[in-house]
Amino acid sequence: MTRVVVSGLGVVSPYGAGAKTFWAGLATGECAIRPLTVVDTEGFRSRIAAEVPADVLSALGPSRRRSRADRMALAAAREAMAEADLTPRDRMEMGLFVGAVGGGMLEGEEWYCEEKRGRPSPRLRALRSILPVSHAETLAWRLRLGGPRETVVMACASGAASIALGADVIRSGATPLVLAGGVDAITRICFMGFNALKLLDPEPCRPFDRGRRGMSIGEGAAFLVLEDADHCRARGARALGELLGAGMTTDAHHVTAPHPEGEGMIRAMVDALAASGRAPADIGYVNAHGTGTPQNDRVEALALVRVFGEGHVLVSSTKSLVGHTMAAAGSLEAAATLLTLQHGLIPPTANLHDPDPDVPFDCVPGTARPVELGAALSNSFGFGGQNVSLVFGR
Amino acid sequence: MSVRRRVVVTGMGSVSAAGCGGSAAIAAALASSAERIAPLKAFALPDGPSRLAAEVDDGELMTLLDADAVRRLSRICRMAVAACRLAAAEAGIEGGARLGLAVGSEYGDFRSGAEFFSGFLRRGPGGLSPMIFPNTVMNSMAAVVAIAIGAKAPSVTLNQATVAGDLAVARGVALIAGGRADAVLAGGVDEIFLDVYRGLSALGALSPMAGGASEGCRPYAPDHNGPVMGEGATFLVLEEMEAARARGATIHAEVLGSAWGGIPVAPHTAPVSGRDAHRTVGRALDQAGIGPDALGRCYGSGNGDPALDDWELQLLEADGIRDPVSLAPLFGQHGGLGALRAAAGTLAARIDGAPTLVHGIARGGCRAALVIGRAA
Amino acid sequence: MTQKEVLDELKALIVERLKFDPRRAAEMTGETTLPKGLEGSLGLDSLDFIELSVAMEERFGIVIDEAESLTDEFLSLDSLSRFVLSKVK
Repeated sequence: MTRVVVSGLGVVSPYGAGAKTFWAGLATGECAIRPLTVVDTEGFRSRIAAEVPADVLSALGPSRRRSRADRMALAAAREAMAEADLTPRDRMEMGLFVGAVGGGMLEGEEWYCEEKRGRPSPRLRALRSILPVSHAETLAWRLRLGGPRETVVMACASGAASIALGADVIRSGATPLVLAGGVDAITRICFMGFNALKLLDPEPCRPFDRGRRGMSIGEGAAFLVLEDADHCRARGARALGELLGAGMTTDAHHVTAPHPEGEGMIRAMVDALAASGRAPADIGYVNAHGTGTPQNDRVEALALVRVFGEGHVLVSSTKSLVGHTMAAAGSLEAAATLLTLQHGLIPPTANLHDPDPDVPFDCVPGTARPVELGAALSNSFGFGGQNVSLVFGR
Repeated sequence: MSVRRRVVVTGMGSVSAAGCGGSAAIAAALASSAERIAPLKAFALPDGPSRLAAEVDDGELMTLLDADAVRRLSRICRMAVAACRLAAAEAGIEGGARLGLAVGSEYGDFRSGAEFFSGFLRRGPGGLSPMIFPNTVMNSMAAVVAIAIGAKAPSVTLNQATVAGDLAVARGVALIAGGRADAVLAGGVDEIFLDVYRGLSALGALSPMAGGASEGCRPYAPDHNGPVMGEGATFLVLEEMEAARARGATIHAEVLGSAWGGIPVAPHTAPVSGRDAHRTVGRALDQAGIGPDALGRCYGSGNGDPALDDWELQLLEADGIRDPVSLAPLFGQHGGLGALRAAAGTLAARIDGAPTLVHGIARGGCRAALVIGRAA
Repeated sequence: MTQKEVLDELKALIVERLKFDPRRAAEMTGETTLPKGLEGSLGLDSLDFIELSVAMEERFGIVIDEAESLTDEFLSLDSLSRFVLSKVK
């Protein structure tokens, strides 16, 4: 059976550029959710987000004509590719799986506003980069990747789905290498939409807290180089960790609400464990979807109890630190899970002061916890009931 | 290593400018030479040289749907549900934990995105409709189809220009071959929305490109001058062969080979010099165990876009394949077209023994190849 | 506003914002129940109720606290009309 390892990692997060910067923020439990500046928030109930700082964005260059999301994706992808240190021949075979939702919509919105005001805008060229597929086109070209290419749109689970589907392609034998990850920049539609649905907390989110009131949005990009373990060993490269298995399911219940008993979530976790050849007792830590909405955290906790048993696994939410980064979430959180395993340190859940008694788990409040771990599981549960669970090992 | 899981086609459904229905309707549409490309009816004719489209008849679409049950569904979601229901009914397949979805789309639900955003532009935060927001994410079609049909295995939405439908079928095959599903509704969907049409026209991406001669869809022809937009949804039911046989399903054809790759060229370009080091077509033929000479025909993705047509002809020539046939003049360019190509290959397999190559190449280099033929 | 006026406005909102067929409005009375799961009801789910709340806030100039449990108020068009009137006063 083909084993899939991770031989490169790249991140652009609300903490800044680079996987090291990302880990430093997570390890200190710093909450990056602040007043939102990249779009106008006047008149909205929740006016905060975890933004990638402006100076970080402008340092990402090279071209200011590229969309914000594209620039984040390219920087994260380049970092991962640099770490993996592949030959041009390897790159020609390499697949590319990108989880995306917003694409270049931020710039497209600016064009649309101008259009509707009757001002023909020079930003017409932004239209071409609106679609989620635009990132894959940029990355394939800039990185000279010639293998199977796919842009996966699965709402909040996009970044995890790209990793699962990319690994599948390696296991099928079509290619030994895949660059897989996700990216999303803040857009007005996303900010306004979650506000309109009253799913955002006016204060930084408090996953698993009894007083939690909603999500905080964020933005970022993370890419993993996934590689056939034999191929990695043969070229003398170092693996950062292993993707042991993945589960993917659909609730088929409701367009915004999860199945009330977490039926699809449970199946995704059970399938991921089965694919990994691991039992629930082998998992020391779950990186939760943990958005901070009353509903998600309650149902996710129910599902965790069914799979792991009350209190039998440590849980924390990366979204409490860097917000819900939408299509990037699944891959940012996969990166967090890999780094957790590497360092033997579980990042905390921030803003957790009064744990919800309906969540019978230690959610690592406030301070990171040193724990030796063999394997960990990361959940991403998308709007529309599309669920992905990833199991990583050292 | 376990026995390779083979994938067959057990049903299909389509909503397009050529009408709605299962395999009989699709076969009739392919056989007919009736013109479906006509001046836009749904919207006031835009400024600019492009006026043509291949539009779905809304009246016909609504005969397939319960108005009450779909009241909240946007138009593109309605098309997807209608086509998937037709396909599932023809295959006699029901929902469950082993039925998945693969939905390809070029533009998704732009209409809902515009409607949602317009609410804000007109009336500020109070003008936003929470109900429309979920439709602004491109996976909404998959989400509503999954609910309508009860598909609980993975539901994957893929965004790609030109070959979205081809990719969805390839992805559906991979989901079954890899054991994530025993059956997948795979196909593509797009609708014509005025802002997108006008945007593409302003970018010079529709016929008549570069202000050429008469507007029209003439793939591979010397006077080709751009694609004409179409709309609709077409889905195939892909199934693991043994499972299909065990339940006594009608097997229309087998997907004998399936591969996809990407040629790293600059975004939005189609350079004739771009070569496919990944051997996408070769891999699909190898899986099918045949050479290019054994093919009965090739359905190509060429849609009248001159650079793309020329590039496709070059690439196919290098793979030993000539004279691809385009379905774009019948249905217009949209996400469902790749699935219509696969449907055509499936129908051909019912008639003669020579397999079909379904080929797709997009600007930016995304490439797909399916070999469809009789199940042995 | 009278309760009848509020009722007529609610019917118009339901048609316009929840995309019901306008002919259904003629059949709706004060006794028409709203939530999904009740026999003969309009079959509204959580997403419909959020949309309706937002529409009601805008149309009537009221504020609806989403933290409040409003199951009884949203039971029928009569109970909803009374709820709106109580907020408007």
